[in-house]
Amino acid sequence: MKKFQKKHNYEGLLIVIEGTDGSGKSTQLELLKRSIQAQSYGVMVSEWKTSRLIANVIDDAKDRNLLNATTYSLLYAADFVDRLENQIIPALKSGFIVLLDRYYYTALARDVVRGQDIEWVKNLYECAPEPDLIFYLDMPVDVLLKRIIGTTGLNYYESGRDVGFSTDFYKSFEIYQNKCLEQYNRMKKEYNFKSIDGTKSIEEIHSIMQKEVQKILDSGVLY
Amino acid sequence: MSRLTEKHNLPGTLVCVEGIDGSGKSTQITLLRDWLKSSGKDVIFTEWNSSDLISQTTKLAKKKNLLSPRTFSLLHAVDFADRLKQVIGPALKAGFIVLADRYAYTAFARDVARGVDPDWVRKVYSFAYQPDLALYFDIDPKTSMERICSNRAPKFYEAGMDLKLSNDPYESYMIFQGRVIKEYQKMVDEFGLVKLNALDSIHSKQVAIRNMLKEVLNAKGVEI
Repeated sequence: MKKFQKKHNYEGLLIVIEGTDGSGKSTQLELLKRSIQAQSYGVMVSEWKTSRLIANVIDDAKDRNLLNATTYSLLYAADFVDRLENQIIPALKSGFIVLLDRYYYTALARDVVRGQDIEWVKNLYECAPEPDLIFYLDMPVDVLLKRIIGTTGLNYYESGRDVGFSTDFYKSFEIYQNKCLEQYNRMKKEYNFKSIDGTKSIEEIHSIMQKEVQKILDSGVLY
Repeated sequence: MSRLTEKHNLPGTLVCVEGIDGSGKSTQITLLRDWLKSSGKDVIFTEWNSSDLISQTTKLAKKKNLLSPRTFSLLHAVDFADRLKQVIGPALKAGFIVLADRYAYTAFARDVARGVDPDWVRKVYSFAYQPDLALYFDIDPKTSMERICSNRAPKFYEAGMDLKLSNDPYESYMIFQGRVIKEYQKMVDEFGLVKLNALDSIHSKQVAIRNMLKEVLNAKGVEI
């Protein structure tokens, strides 16, 4: 089998699951983690907005509606860089398979929808290594809406209420998520996403992801 | 595209003071504020790392030595962006004289002295308005240290201890602040900072600053 070419110079592998809110990313991440661990590989998982440095500040600021588009972008970038420097890169250097729930594509989508210049946002994240594999869970907005209303309910920022598209929560959510999807669609090609139909069953999606990851593992890249 | 290199065309006037600690910039800006207020001008004062949103977090993170050069840079950018959007921008639009104790140039000097890419940090701050008057107080690291460390040791980040330049905080301060000063000096030409000698008397500096500001205000049709 052809030797797999990593996208960075670290020992480990960097695998990302992207998609909008409610697309099933965390479920898939957990399944993928278990199936890789079962094969005795070291796995490290890191989720968006979980840095010890700043995650609680973001939550608090969001609760109090303190953020404007620029501080929103910069805070998320600070969170990301802190995790990158303290978790992700050390793990990659030690040969772990790093599984990420969201990567800077999330920031590119959300920040651009909030009116930021895309080149400005890209500059914030220029230190991010290229992932070896990017899964994208593709979901139509109507299905997303039902999922989110049925679980967590609509929240202020996920509905893009801060951007002022509409004062109606439902309408605002629809517009905001559609605009995010436009951005993701644009990035699919640019970043070579492996796009998966998010309406498939959990098992089907997992099996697709598992096969893609297995190809890389079987190429012996981590031996 | 950076706003920092274009005139802002807003009714207000933006003045900032720059320089390392102990260069006397806060003294000068306080005197300037009192004078403008007593002349009946609408003045707003804002200082580095003071936003409600993040300044406490940054201070705590500094105390715990949690910051890398990049996160140090980004957290200060959050603080600055918060003040720019909530305070500086609205005040300039409403015609205030905005006095800023430190501005984006502080980030350019300190972050680059920490090894951050100069172009990267300039892009991060590209949303900042260009000041109408940017004053830089030039001082040598030794005098600065004597002034601020007369009764305490230099702080961890202030001394650049995160860069492991020296185990001695005083020596580290001298090396690090020396680098910061070099960056400031480069910006005199790059951004048209007005260089003042920090060792001149308080009075002579204040006279010079008031004259410069008068000119700026007169050019905008504001009498003082």
